[in-house]
Amino acid sequence: MNNTMQIANSWPVWVFASLIIGVVVFQGIKFLQLARKAGAGIGLSNQEMNKAIKTGAITAIGPSFGIVIVAISLISLLGNPLTMMRIGVIGSAPIESLGASLASESAGADLTGVTFTPEVFTLIVWTLCIGGSGWMLFTLFFNKSLGSVQEKISATPNGKKYLSVIALIAMIAIFGSLTSAEMIKGLVPALTAVAAILSSLLMNLIAEKKKIIWLKEWALGLSIIIALTVTYFII
Amino acid sequence: MNNSNTMAEFHTSAHLWGRVTLGLGILISYALPLYLSYAMGYHPGFDLIFQSFLAYAAVIAFVWVLEPLMYFAILGVSGTYIAFFTGNISNMCLPSAAASQEALKVEPGTERGEVVGTLGISAASLVNKLILVPIILLGLWLLTVIPPSIQEVFPYVLPAIFGAVLAQFSLKRPVYGLLALIVGALVNISPIPLVFKNLVVILIVVFLGFQLEKRKKSE
Repeated sequence: MNNTMQIANSWPVWVFASLIIGVVVFQGIKFLQLARKAGAGIGLSNQEMNKAIKTGAITAIGPSFGIVIVAISLISLLGNPLTMMRIGVIGSAPIESLGASLASESAGADLTGVTFTPEVFTLIVWTLCIGGSGWMLFTLFFNKSLGSVQEKISATPNGKKYLSVIALIAMIAIFGSLTSAEMIKGLVPALTAVAAILSSLLMNLIAEKKKIIWLKEWALGLSIIIALTVTYFII
Repeated sequence: MNNSNTMAEFHTSAHLWGRVTLGLGILISYALPLYLSYAMGYHPGFDLIFQSFLAYAAVIAFVWVLEPLMYFAILGVSGTYIAFFTGNISNMCLPSAAASQEALKVEPGTERGEVVGTLGISAASLVNKLILVPIILLGLWLLTVIPPSIQEVFPYVLPAIFGAVLAQFSLKRPVYGLLALIVGALVNISPIPLVFKNLVVILIVVFLGFQLEKRKKSE
């Protein structure tokens, strides 16, 4: 067990984990450049684009802390670098812990005991890494075809309008589904969701009526904090 | 240069760089287990790897295909490449794209919407790594510093995020927000397999919404 955690935290694992995080960061920077160039071409001003970047960045702060705090629980299981690697790319704490337990089950091992050998750790790494690459492989090979289908639809009369309506309704539908799935879990998550819905509605309406730009940028982040504060007082 | 030329050029570079970065990501993902197996000598045997992968794929493989398809209309070509590499699509990428689009008053699924969404998601991906890396380095120490009473709130982060995003989008069409919540609740308590639930809700709500939109226009 001790030996296993030493391997899980050894420098080669750190090297691979840092490399993949490096590629994700590179991708973020590259796509910022590409989108800025395209934005200039379709008539977005620099000021507008900076606002989009700022808003995206602010909005990611709340969820990122949420994600990372949950991910910390994986460290005791997988070690620091593998946790960073799995949470830093596609994958999430629930799916990675599911993968880890399925892998150890196949080996008939217990993740916290003497049966957690370096071989079992390697098996977990295989499972999580091949598993996580499923999304990446699909995107790598099929995103281009999805793009061509989209282009064909937007070339038809009314096609663009329909795509935009569908995208908006699909967005509402996904979040309606995700929210209600959380709400039916119990009274506390239901109240949290209601608090989030109300504060988000209120802040967005105020920001729009009074034309408060910063409030628009912070609305989502603040609603999440307000909802969690409400939760803090009801649990 | 007109808009469609700009967008075509944007998509061409997005495909190139999207594929290069995802390809590298996949290679590194396979390099680590290979290294542990062969360079360090802890190979668990391919029988076990296959068995464990099958158990995993039986639960997750649907989602590999389903999620990129489901989110494509919203994320677009470039957003899909970023979101399916950096991860956290529903709880981070979509909310960030949504907030950026809302701040600039552009609609998802349009050219402007796609570019603005990409700016938002790229920024979100970078912020996420800026927060992730130091916290992982500090690791377990942090858990001893954050008071347990505050940690008790963390499991409720998801309903807070999802509810707030739902409300933001429903500002434009409150009826659909309500419809999505009701259909969502009905589908989620029904015995449909978990992986299909979101898809079923999308199909029903988009179908109903589309009919309503058509009726509005013909009036």
